[in-house]
Amino acid sequence: MNTQPGNKSIIEIFKATKIYTPDVVALEDISLSVPYGEMLFVTGMSGAGKTTLLKLICGMEHPDKGLVEVSGRNLTQIKDKEIPKFRQQIGMAYQDFKLLPDRTVTQNIAMAMEVSYQNIRTIKRRVTELLQKLRLEHKHDSLAGKLSRGEQQRVAIARSVANSPSLILADEPTGNLDSRTTRLVMDLFEQCNNAGATVIIATHDEAIYKKSSHRVLELHGGTIISQEDKSISTIDNMP
Amino acid sequence: MKFISTILLQTKRNLQKTWPTQFMTLLTVSLSVLIFSFFFLIYMNMIKAGENLKDDLRLTIYLEDEPVQEMQMELVRKITNFSPVDEIRFTSREEAFKSLAAQLGDNVDVLDDLDPSFLPPSIEVYPKKNLNTLAQIQRFSEYLASLPGAIKVQYGQEWVERFNYFTKLLRIIVFLSGCLLIMTTTFMVAYTIRLAVVARQAELEILRLLGATNSYIRTPFLIEGFLQGLLGSSLGLLALFFLFSWIQIRFTGPGILQLIDFTFFSQNMIGLIITASIILCTVGGFSSLRKFMRI
Repeated sequence: MNTQPGNKSIIEIFKATKIYTPDVVALEDISLSVPYGEMLFVTGMSGAGKTTLLKLICGMEHPDKGLVEVSGRNLTQIKDKEIPKFRQQIGMAYQDFKLLPDRTVTQNIAMAMEVSYQNIRTIKRRVTELLQKLRLEHKHDSLAGKLSRGEQQRVAIARSVANSPSLILADEPTGNLDSRTTRLVMDLFEQCNNAGATVIIATHDEAIYKKSSHRVLELHGGTIISQEDKSISTIDNMP
Repeated sequence: MKFISTILLQTKRNLQKTWPTQFMTLLTVSLSVLIFSFFFLIYMNMIKAGENLKDDLRLTIYLEDEPVQEMQMELVRKITNFSPVDEIRFTSREEAFKSLAAQLGDNVDVLDDLDPSFLPPSIEVYPKKNLNTLAQIQRFSEYLASLPGAIKVQYGQEWVERFNYFTKLLRIIVFLSGCLLIMTTTFMVAYTIRLAVVARQAELEILRLLGATNSYIRTPFLIEGFLQGLLGSSLGLLALFFLFSWIQIRFTGPGILQLIDFTFFSQNMIGLIITASIILCTVGGFSSLRKFMRI
């Protein structure tokens, strides 16, 4: 996944539908192509299907219909033993953070690098760097469970980018942050994107995507209702 | 190297988090090894003592009349045809009387009024070490009793039979304590690891999402099982060694311990018990992981 194959899209979704039992249609007939190195915003109201879309991309969920390909891999056919390697190359910042409350901030961030057997010195250096970038250096030894929601969110974001993944997925990454901290987080995502990572941010915070020059995809009721690519100044309505 | 250091770090964290349960399991494993190896040590020494007794086995055939030279040769032929022997020694009435007088020592005067020919002539048979079971000894004894002119055969039946039954009883106890060892080590370790897996379900779920491999998640648990086996059996054997040394110091003097030369396990046997415990504990851990952690 780090090396860009002949195919220029890191993500190819074709007519994907996801229905949760009994009959909640989370996504319906979604088609999407994301090129390598793109930064994409997925917007929409609560329940529009943003989180489900991210879950399909990271392989946490499988579509009931359609196809999801990431780096040329069909995720419905991916072998069990390939999943860990695949997930190591994706950094996901979850809406509910998924932190271990009884572990320190440092340990929570380091987990992402430990699972890929990174050198302890490299881990320490990277964690320190991220803590500084997100203004959390004074909290390095605090238990994650003792942090405020905003601090926990920043720890989750730091963990998602710690392993320098080629694909970063962030689900409402600024939901609990003030404008200043939001800027810090967005700067971090920009840096990762500039370094070559593809970044997909699901958000309903207009402030973070209105001024940006990146593509914005709007979901409503499980379908894509608009795609705005500011780099080419056009609006495409999906069928 | 990175794999090993990461796994060891993870194992250390696990142990720090679940040390009370781990400690109780360690004690249980130690106690099981102690109980098993205690009986096994006694059994091993009894077997060794049995070997020594076999070396001293002697069957005495008491005869009606002293056999003439031809008869002696015929008896030797019949005995050696039935079972190979180390030695056959004939004792006449006169020799038996002299032997008894020598044994009585200062009290020899009790024989003064007795006829020197009141003792029966006898044959002492020293079998080779091929008579391994009580049944074989009994069969040989029955054959000797059926020889012409034989009145009675003696070989310390009661002592041999009691020793044989005691060894059988020990074998059953060793078997049962061995089962106890297998059950406690395997099930206790499996249960401890199962508890650890359940308690850390949220963490394991996050690790999976972050891309932890099966070996990253499973190996620390298997190392825990390995350590339980290694430390548990070592502690159990150490406790047995102290018990053994204490018994040796306290009970030196006349008694059963003087008859049997008690020795501790050889280095090979210690290695074998520790290895078996490690395997059992690791298997226990592995089975628990297979059952409760499908990844």
